Amino acid sequence: MREKIVSPRGLILAGVILVVLAFWPALATRYYTYLVALILVTGLLASSLNMVLGFGGMYQFNHAVFYGAGAYAAALLTVRGGLNPWWGYLLGPLVAAALSLVMGIICVRLSKLYFGMLQISLGSLVWAIVFRWYSFTGGDDGMHGVPVPGLIGSIDGAYWFTLIVTVVSLAVMYLIVNSPFGRVFQGIRDNPERAEAVGVNVMRHQLIGLVIAGFFGGVAGTLFVTVEGSVFPDMMFWTLSLEILIMCLLGGWFTFLGPMLGAAIIVILRTVVGIYTDYWTLVLGIILMLLIFFLPDGVLGYFTALFGRKRAGGEES
Amino acid sequence: MKGKLWLILALTAALGLALGGAAMAKTIKIGMVDCYSGPPSTYTNDVRDAFKLYIKKVNAKGGVWGNKFEVLTRDSKFKVDLGLAAAKELIMREGVSALVGTINSGLALAISDLAQRENIPFFATFSKSAKISGAKGHRYVFQITENTAMIGKAAAAGLAKKPYIKYWIAGDDYEYGHAVADGVWQNLKKLKPEVKLLGQSWWKVGEPDFTPYITAILAAKPDAVIVATGGRDCVPFLKAAQATGFNKKVPFYMHTATELATLRPVGKGAPEGVMGTSNYHFYYPDSAANKAFAKEFQDAYGRIPTVGALYGYITAQLITGAYQKAKTMKGDKFVDAVEGMKVNTPVGTVELRAYDHQALLPMYLGTTKKSDKYDFLVADGIIDITPAEAAPDVNEIKKARGK
Amino acid sequence: MEIASHITLAALGQQVLVGLSRTTILFIVSSGLSLILGVLRIPNISHGSLYMIGAFFTYSVASFVGGSAGFWVALVLAPIAVGLLSLLVERGIFCHLYEREHLMLLLFTFSLMLVLGDLVKLTYGSDYRSLAAPVMLQGSFSLGNLPFPRYNAFLLLVGPLVAFGLWFLTNKTKIGKIARAAAVDREMVAAMGINVSWVFAFVFCIGCLLAGLGGALVAPTQNITQGMDHAIVMECFLIVIIGGLGNMWGALLGALIFGLTSSIGILVWPQFAIVFPYVAVVIVLLLRPKGLLKSTW
Repeated sequence: MREKIVSPRGLILAGVILVVLAFWPALATRYYTYLVALILVTGLLASSLNMVLGFGGMYQFNHAVFYGAGAYAAALLTVRGGLNPWWGYLLGPLVAAALSLVMGIICVRLSKLYFGMLQISLGSLVWAIVFRWYSFTGGDDGMHGVPVPGLIGSIDGAYWFTLIVTVVSLAVMYLIVNSPFGRVFQGIRDNPERAEAVGVNVMRHQLIGLVIAGFFGGVAGTLFVTVEGSVFPDMMFWTLSLEILIMCLLGGWFTFLGPMLGAAIIVILRTVVGIYTDYWTLVLGIILMLLIFFLPDGVLGYFTALFGRKRAGGEES
Repeated sequence: MKGKLWLILALTAALGLALGGAAMAKTIKIGMVDCYSGPPSTYTNDVRDAFKLYIKKVNAKGGVWGNKFEVLTRDSKFKVDLGLAAAKELIMREGVSALVGTINSGLALAISDLAQRENIPFFATFSKSAKISGAKGHRYVFQITENTAMIGKAAAAGLAKKPYIKYWIAGDDYEYGHAVADGVWQNLKKLKPEVKLLGQSWWKVGEPDFTPYITAILAAKPDAVIVATGGRDCVPFLKAAQATGFNKKVPFYMHTATELATLRPVGKGAPEGVMGTSNYHFYYPDSAANKAFAKEFQDAYGRIPTVGALYGYITAQLITGAYQKAKTMKGDKFVDAVEGMKVNTPVGTVELRAYDHQALLPMYLGTTKKSDKYDFLVADGIIDITPAEAAPDVNEIKKARGK
Repeated sequence: MEIASHITLAALGQQVLVGLSRTTILFIVSSGLSLILGVLRIPNISHGSLYMIGAFFTYSVASFVGGSAGFWVALVLAPIAVGLLSLLVERGIFCHLYEREHLMLLLFTFSLMLVLGDLVKLTYGSDYRSLAAPVMLQGSFSLGNLPFPRYNAFLLLVGPLVAFGLWFLTNKTKIGKIARAAAVDREMVAAMGINVSWVFAFVFCIGCLLAGLGGALVAPTQNITQGMDHAIVMECFLIVIIGGLGNMWGALLGALIFGLTSSIGILVWPQFAIVFPYVAVVIVLLLRPKGLLKSTW
């Protein structure tokens, strides 16, 4: 079916954006530096979900759990474990990946909606534990003022760190999508029966995909701790998972950078509209409806088609 | 394709410059972040409206030192991430001098942490977490509402005078519920060592039907029940209590049971004889100041003020008063001015305790009763609990802060 | 924590009955969701919003009419109003989207939930609403020394009635049979010269009417407020999933499991009652990955 595009024009655009982002704190006020950092974190989270959603065709309905797991692991290792905060950045994503592996083993044999709903149940269990375990996780109050290494403690510092980690993570994910593994993974999405028939171990590939998505979801979680200095159970709740899903669909879930764009749109919308009215979800809802009607492939998908670039890969078989 | 991302970033920047440039130097901006949608807004709207009411009065008199106040509000939708982002927007983009809010404890603690880093005074209006002015207290955070530690002390003082021995505890499976229950129980055990705990039940916030919990509690036959539930769950709980005749079989105490926000929606169908505590009733204390306040609020908004209105009003009194005293909204001078300040409120003189920045409000313990005057129940046989009885000891707070 | 020292047979029996009356609400709302999922293949996230709107409509109608009669009138009118509202949405917007991916439909219903939620806030404001049950259903009667609310008993009667009505509709009426056939094979139904689009509209309308009915029935037991939509929709999805997508009896079975595990959980281990239904879902899906009963998918 559909795949992302590599074209010289795309690369140039990406380069231009990178340069702007690299000088962003010098150009913008403190608040907009923070806002872009938040967009990058959210965008990385959405991109990590899209690894399994868009490229794997798996209905990962509770992706926020891995975001929260990464963030909580990093925060708990620092606050309760007394470790140097840098360890959190290393171990947080690994904890998220491990959780993803465990949940994946349980869910992976189900398909589509069933997969998604079992995942929501398991995710809700994890959420309930975090929510209830007052003495360890801080319960529903969460933990605030989590120590962040001095080097990246300021708003600009957090921004640089977020930018670098996000770019590196995106590059790694891009390489994975285009690796032999990534191609088999997308083949499974388009036709699992056929993949099985030619001797691909479908479940193992899907499981690996889930672990990768969970890992980068965890990376996004640790970045959130850097930017906000807080963790709380909302980060694991299913409504947030649904929002991330919306970002992928909105930006274009068959494109690599679509989720990033979707995240940017949602974060900006709720900030800008939220300044003027308490009814911003109404505005958001209407805009979403219009987009679904007129841009069924998402915003980025639409522009991709508009600029006449044929979807690479074409139909399988 | 990616050009669109760039375009959006550019637009954001342009918008930021345009809006940022519009900020006027002569007004003092106060930011309010709270949940103005969903169930909690029945409490928070009164905080906001009473706050604005007082600010409007001050502005009408020409402001303070010739400067007027402007109130900016943001809806957090009861989500920590949204509220925190909004608070940052208010501080960094709007340049507010102080922050006011919120009913969500998690968000209040997050904003408190932000306020400490940014040196911006933050007045926690409705979150009842004892951590705000207790263990996590600092120089820039102030708590207006009574907190869970105070609720616990006040309720225990009242319950210890009753003959009950065997208790059951039930409540919201939420920090608030557990903190209230713990507070009441620890204090009650101190005052009356022979009390016994038969068991506990905890439900999720927004539990649709309390009947199964109530029948389970009745099966255990306690002498009395401590119900630690707050906000939206109070109403369905009272309804279930009425339907099962719970209040007639076992007496129970519920912190906000006597509050107008709880009793008004249930109307005459609410159960009688439920014990509850509250910081405010529009009919009590029966003083001129309170009557004037209730009338002022009702004239402005067409509804009777609930407890939130008192919190909003006092907060506005404190902020404008401290500015009057300090001549600045900035940092240490403002904090010095507001520490230990006393204001004349609808419930009498209230002090903002200098050590922990906790507003020392009186608490009223009453029992629900039908009234001829209103189409909802009111608190009857009110006992005043003074701040001295309810407020946590400064030494306890020192200990909690690890000093 | 002592576990279960106070459990008597009477208490257990009563807890089961109370659980069953909660099951009734869950069943009615999820059967609507299941119907729409089965026939139209739409994971309708806005189902909870229609449930909430049903409760608000019930409040409006009941207070307009007044007295005990108000509730009965509202019980009939509110679900119909919700059904008509949904028909409007279906004909106006939904029917143009049926060919889209499931996830896009899910996204669409999510936007609808956002819009409906804010519309309710615009219309009704933020105060809680509360509705008294009609006089004959107030209070409780004694059942083995423990009180049993009359309203819950009423719900126990309504549940089987709705189940029978649904069975009659889908098995004994022509439109019901067509809908069931369309669920299995829409092309075949279309080939027979039946306007599938209108069958879908009918089913969508009935499904949403059930959500409205659930909202109307729950109105006297709790406060009517914004946020009711979020609370119920996830439970209903889980119920539909463990029952088997699109299977109405599956929805009943799922609602039973949900209602009973939570109410018995409260008696056995109250501090962890929250977790029980989720654990039940995980166990069911591990044993029967496609749900308990046959799915139409």
